[in-house]
Amino acid sequence: MTAPLLHIVQQNRFWLSPNRAIFWEDEKALIVSDTHFGKTGHFRKHGIAVPPQVYQEDLQRFFTLIQAFKAEKIIIVGDFFHSVANEELKLFLKWRSDFLSIHFILVRGNHDILHNNWYADAAITVQDGVFTLNGFQFVHDPAVLAISNKSLFTFSGHIHPGIAMRGIAKQSLQFPCFYFTQQQCILPAFSKFSGLKIMKQKKATQVFVLNEGAVIPL
Amino acid sequence: MKSTSPGYTIIQSWLNSKQFKPFPFQEETWQYILNRESGLVNAPTGCGKTYAVFLAALMQFINDHPTSWQQQKNNGLQLLWITPLRALAKDICRAMEEAIASIGLNWKVGIRNGDTSTSERSKQKKNMPEVLIITPESLHLLLTQKGYPSFFTTLQIIAVDEWHELMGSKRGVQTELAIARIVLGRLNKKSTLIWGISATIGNLEEAKEVLLAPLKKQGVIIRAVINKPLEVHTIIPDEIEEYPWAGHLGIKLANKLIPIIEQSKTTLIFINTRGMSETWYQTLLTVAPQLAGAIALHHGSIEQELRLWVEEALHTEKLKAVVCTASLDLGVDFRPVDTVIQVGSPKGVARFLQRAGRSGHRPGATSKIYFLPTHSLELVEAAALKTAIEEQAIESKEPMLLCFDVLLQFLCTLAIGEGFIAQDLFEEIKLTHCFADLQQNEWQQILHHLTNGGNALQQYDEYKKVVVEDGVYRIQNKRIAMRHRMHIGTIVSDAMLKVKFMSGGYIGVIEEWFISRLEPGDAFTLAGRNLELVMIKDMQVMVKKSSAKKTIVPSWMGGRMSLSANLSEVLRNTFSKALTPDAGIELESLTSLFKLQAQLSFIPKENELLIEQIEGKDGFHLLVYPFEGRQVHEAMSAILAYRISQIKPMSFSISMNDYGFELLSDQPIPVDDSNAYDLFTQDHLLTDIQHSVNSTEMAKRKFRDIAVIGGLIFQGMPGEKTKARHLQSSASLLFKVFEEFDPSNILLRQAYQEVMAQQMDEVRLRQSLQRISQNKIMLSFPKKLTPLSFPIIVDGLNRNNLSSEKLEDRIKKMQQQLAGL
Repeated sequence: MTAPLLHIVQQNRFWLSPNRAIFWEDEKALIVSDTHFGKTGHFRKHGIAVPPQVYQEDLQRFFTLIQAFKAEKIIIVGDFFHSVANEELKLFLKWRSDFLSIHFILVRGNHDILHNNWYADAAITVQDGVFTLNGFQFVHDPAVLAISNKSLFTFSGHIHPGIAMRGIAKQSLQFPCFYFTQQQCILPAFSKFSGLKIMKQKKATQVFVLNEGAVIPL
Repeated sequence: MKSTSPGYTIIQSWLNSKQFKPFPFQEETWQYILNRESGLVNAPTGCGKTYAVFLAALMQFINDHPTSWQQQKNNGLQLLWITPLRALAKDICRAMEEAIASIGLNWKVGIRNGDTSTSERSKQKKNMPEVLIITPESLHLLLTQKGYPSFFTTLQIIAVDEWHELMGSKRGVQTELAIARIVLGRLNKKSTLIWGISATIGNLEEAKEVLLAPLKKQGVIIRAVINKPLEVHTIIPDEIEEYPWAGHLGIKLANKLIPIIEQSKTTLIFINTRGMSETWYQTLLTVAPQLAGAIALHHGSIEQELRLWVEEALHTEKLKAVVCTASLDLGVDFRPVDTVIQVGSPKGVARFLQRAGRSGHRPGATSKIYFLPTHSLELVEAAALKTAIEEQAIESKEPMLLCFDVLLQFLCTLAIGEGFIAQDLFEEIKLTHCFADLQQNEWQQILHHLTNGGNALQQYDEYKKVVVEDGVYRIQNKRIAMRHRMHIGTIVSDAMLKVKFMSGGYIGVIEEWFISRLEPGDAFTLAGRNLELVMIKDMQVMVKKSSAKKTIVPSWMGGRMSLSANLSEVLRNTFSKALTPDAGIELESLTSLFKLQAQLSFIPKENELLIEQIEGKDGFHLLVYPFEGRQVHEAMSAILAYRISQIKPMSFSISMNDYGFELLSDQPIPVDDSNAYDLFTQDHLLTDIQHSVNSTEMAKRKFRDIAVIGGLIFQGMPGEKTKARHLQSSASLLFKVFEEFDPSNILLRQAYQEVMAQQMDEVRLRQSLQRISQNKIMLSFPKKLTPLSFPIIVDGLNRNNLSSEKLEDRIKKMQQQLAGL
């Protein structure tokens, strides 16, 4: 795996990791989106045999990132858990109980439908709508905010952004990406069990694609 | 037996009283059935094939109840009639009921398919009719019922209508499995007979073997010798120079159809896709407004009521012409139809003949078919078709083997009904043709998949589907059972939405992805009407009439097929006759085009392989013309691309049609006299096949259907209000996930096996390469696009990609190209 890439927004240092996360150095915060934990379990409980190893790998990647960056805060911009509670989530809870000092803030996404008590027990602070921290704001679905040049710089998810590159001779490639515009960043979905929505590159100010363990600026 | 059996005598005298004279093949079939034999009847539609099997069932019954046959009622199921088409059921039912009433039996005929009401279903469950007309899907649904074995205890005959349509598809496999269950499950005391009814195909003997496999009996084939004269005409453009080199629509020739329609009583116009049929319907009305009200449109996405109206109007001679798709390929005969027009390549001799046969159904009448080419080169195909018909080169249907997806679905079906015992069922399934080679370890993997869902995360797993209880495999979860019932079937289509007028009334269905690109206010065409999208509500598309001049014609996915191997061979021979004295009218009309081809490049003779290399704005094109049909071209192009990419790192976009294929790259393609022959070598073929399958996306495309049939994706029903949103995923995502995390998954492996068996068939490839190795390779470097290359480059199916370059390098290159623009 190659190293994360430094990207500076309003004098703050953000490290874009090829593992689909951003580390906000100034706040020692790891920002992720659309982890959809428990998705494979949800499918399997309903008789659809998807391999649970996807979830296992997603979790391991998540824990490794937290340790590698020595993150003190985790900001999840929505869809942390895929659906109602299931056994797979216990795997997360087991880890959580060993690292209680890390502060979890979840900006609620449309998939985050667990009972409030559940989040409380897991020591996760749930924020509905918009979460603000030191001049930056966090929201799940960027469409709910009218983001203008005057608003705070916004991190969001929900969309699972991807980029399609085209070359001559009818060649094309697709990648998940970090999608930046003037005042916002849309994070790629953290879970590998998630699709892509192909975005228009022209409308972005900067796009970083993720490819085989590298972050490549376009 | 013939003269003495009371059944035979009674039916004979009934036929005499009706002045029906049975065909010899019918009499022969009756005799075999009364002798308790099984077999296959080979007869075209519309010459009494239904009576061949059905009347024998009545004879048998009369023989078994010589004194009481007129009084006996509620006899339980006697004849199970499996038919691929729902639309056929009603007409068959009507014909059978009439005969039964007229002969004086106390039998009932029931229909069971997607259109059957719940109350009717439960009535049938309590009291099975003597004849049940059913689709393969509904038959499987019947097997999910508790106590289903009791339905079959009295069953005498299983008849499979249009077996040629079912065999070679997964619906055929479904039929095989259900029949094996009924016949081998010892559900009734007497042995059940199996009778297939099939149109002519190249491998009738095999068709019979597949169907009769569980009986372990030879069986008989009875052929109806009915020679109906056939006329084939080609519609030739007046100005061939101005006729397009590529395209699928052929609309320029629309005015040529008007006199044909006017001079005929009723004409069926076959169009290859639903979208194009919409366009054709509109165009005919524009060209000949006098036909308004006298022509209609018929395709599978039109609301059933409208379709039935069209069919009824065809019977009653109210229509001059019907624009249709394969939706009218099968089914009852429309007697008034005397002319058929085929627009665009029918892709096979059998289909062309079948369609031609839809005309001229009166005794002594001639079938008449016109072929309308949609681009210039299709005229060559017209010539080839004529030759192929003369030579009776009719295609075979290859039965499918080891379809694990269908098997998984079937096992769940049984697990809902009565449950199953693994070892007993294994023996039974191995007696079907499809699963004769099923290995014990594969069987164990399938069971493991059903009960454990692959390799689980031990205590954190809650996989639930099939559970084993006292050795019996069952599905106990009601919701899983319900969802499974809703998804029984092997026809996979995109999510469909119903289209409805704001004022009420359904028009048809449309694919979700098409409508999702439209905005309210946009106009589109369906069922020949211009409609304006108002809104999408509760999974229904609400529309009103539109007066817009320009509308969008929906393109339904699918519908493009490969030319059959038989036809492509004839095509190759036909093509080499170009510019020779006795080439026939079609080729002669193409003289100017061939001259241009010869001037720019070559016209390949029978023993030559033409390779063209053309440099264009969009890259470097390498075109190869083996004339082997699209399926073989897909395989050969992948192998060639792989082999070239081993010379140096390269990326290709691959496109093909029935004549040849194109490799397109952003850099010059290193093919010249020094290596051309080596690229087509048979050495290392198997490893090269494997490499190229792995590096193209062929398996991913196969996986789409497999994932749905195998129960990994729930499609939802058209118009279904709530979808289990948290259970939605796409086949391509699942494919990616399995590739990375569970590469040995049984359904994933099936996707690769299907590619190997269907696209990349080693034997067929070897034959083609063998042929090419004896050819002279003609390398040519035309300065511009040639008539042969044009259709491939412009609208060949651009479907495969293959690359040996590093992804990083490709990104860099694309970025540079982008910057350079």
